[in-house]
Amino acid sequence: MKTIADFARQFDAKLMLRRDLVVKKNNRYFLVDEKLKPFVSNNFYFAGTYLGKVKKNKFFPSFELLRMIAEKGKANKITINDRTEWLFICGRDVFGKSIVKVEGSAKKGAHTLVMNRYSDCLGFGKILREPSREVAGVAVKNVSDIGDFLRRERKNS
Amino acid sequence: MSGKEFFLHRYEKLGWKPSDIKLKQAIRINPTNAPNLEETVERLQSRGIKLEKISFLEKGYWVSKAKLSAGATTEYLLGMYSIQEAAAQIPVSLFTDLEGKVVLDACAAPGGKTVQLADLMHNSGVIIALDVEKSKLIALANHLERCHVKNTVVYQMDARHVAELGIKFGRILLDVPCSGNFAADSSWFARRSLKDIEANAALQREILAKAAVSLRDDGEIVYATCSLEPEENEMNVDWAVRNLRLQVEEIECYGEKGLTEIFGQKLHRSVENCRRIWPGQTQGFFVCKFRKRDEP
Ligand SMILES: C[S@@+](CC[C@H](N)C(=O)[O-])C[C@H]1O[C@@H](n2cnc3c(N)ncnc32)[C@H](O)[C@@H]1O
Repeated sequence: MKTIADFARQFDAKLMLRRDLVVKKNNRYFLVDEKLKPFVSNNFYFAGTYLGKVKKNKFFPSFELLRMIAEKGKANKITINDRTEWLFICGRDVFGKSIVKVEGSAKKGAHTLVMNRYSDCLGFGKILREPSREVAGVAVKNVSDIGDFLRRERKNS
Repeated sequence: MSGKEFFLHRYEKLGWKPSDIKLKQAIRINPTNAPNLEETVERLQSRGIKLEKISFLEKGYWVSKAKLSAGATTEYLLGMYSIQEAAAQIPVSLFTDLEGKVVLDACAAPGGKTVQLADLMHNSGVIIALDVEKSKLIALANHLERCHVKNTVVYQMDARHVAELGIKFGRILLDVPCSGNFAADSSWFARRSLKDIEANAALQREILAKAAVSLRDDGEIVYATCSLEPEENEMNVDWAVRNLRLQVEEIECYGEKGLTEIFGQKLHRSVENCRRIWPGQTQGFFVCKFRKRDEP
């Protein structure tokens, strides 16, 4: 629980989840609702909304969790242009010139969600330098992007 | 008893000869993640994916032209649509009143129909999704995450043990393991024999029998296969009507009436309420909807 709240805080967002509705399976966290909870017994494999997993003391969020953070109005966000969208999904970092909008804090070292022009959350990154169009070079380092689903599909096939 | 000639001869005896089989790729738009259908279609067209509405499906589209793979777009990764064979979109659409129900998806991986169920339920109620194969659960979980499904609990479990969950289900989807069909598998004739079709049919009957026990009295079961073989389709439905407390419901969907005479054997007349889809633009498919029969 603390793990997830701490993660959200890196985006300057507050995410309060009800402790009794977060269920854990090995190193993976899930959020269920009151209706679903009675159907979750010890040997479940997946339940409700997948929130993310902890590996070697590091938290890896699900894309649904990123979406939940994005819906919190104040989370740090950058919006990138159409040309950069697919590059980001392929794992590339974001150059200053590709950023069309910055919301929330843009402090070096903070985390920021990466959005497209439709306000869809494509993943997140770490701010290397003040993200703005004027800054040359990489402004946001890609940490995780939805292209991961394709990489998982390839690995799994 | 196997081989191309053997099977084609059987199909001919059932009244069908293969001709003009050209499978088309299809997608299903997930309204939960893409509430504006037209906008989603336009978004995809602007990326070079041309879509054509499938007349017999509510949310289904043929991919008529594609400059890039339909499985590698931002919209796909955001769960706005799934790549789902057209005929395979039919079974879930046959349920009534899914919202808020406790639903069993007994053979769920890789989850195309689980996502469709969650969509029609607007993520309300509960879906219990089972699959016996652990390795297939990874794909199922990825599918649920990509499509933002929130109302599903997945167990690795043999559907024949469903009673152990102690749940009575309002709706049960039996998209049972089957022999598949040659239209979607070029090595099908070389791999299949009547013996393994009969073995699959027996497993399907066991799953049906156990599911019927876990069905509420006012519940519905949809049974589906992508097999062309009557042993796995009409003959199993006939067996269910005669041996389980189930009756076949009338359905309105794409496909031909179920066959009521198979190689000289007469089946229960209600079997014609099923739908059989011979391969053409879609792969081969079979669907049947059951309801519990009132106690005598
Ligand atoms: C036709 S596929 C299901 C496709 C799935 N419903 C979808 O729409 O993506 C049949 C599935 O049944 C699973 N299966 C086989 N035997 C089973 C059993 N006894 N109990 C539960 N699942 C079983 C297989 O692993 C396979 O994933």
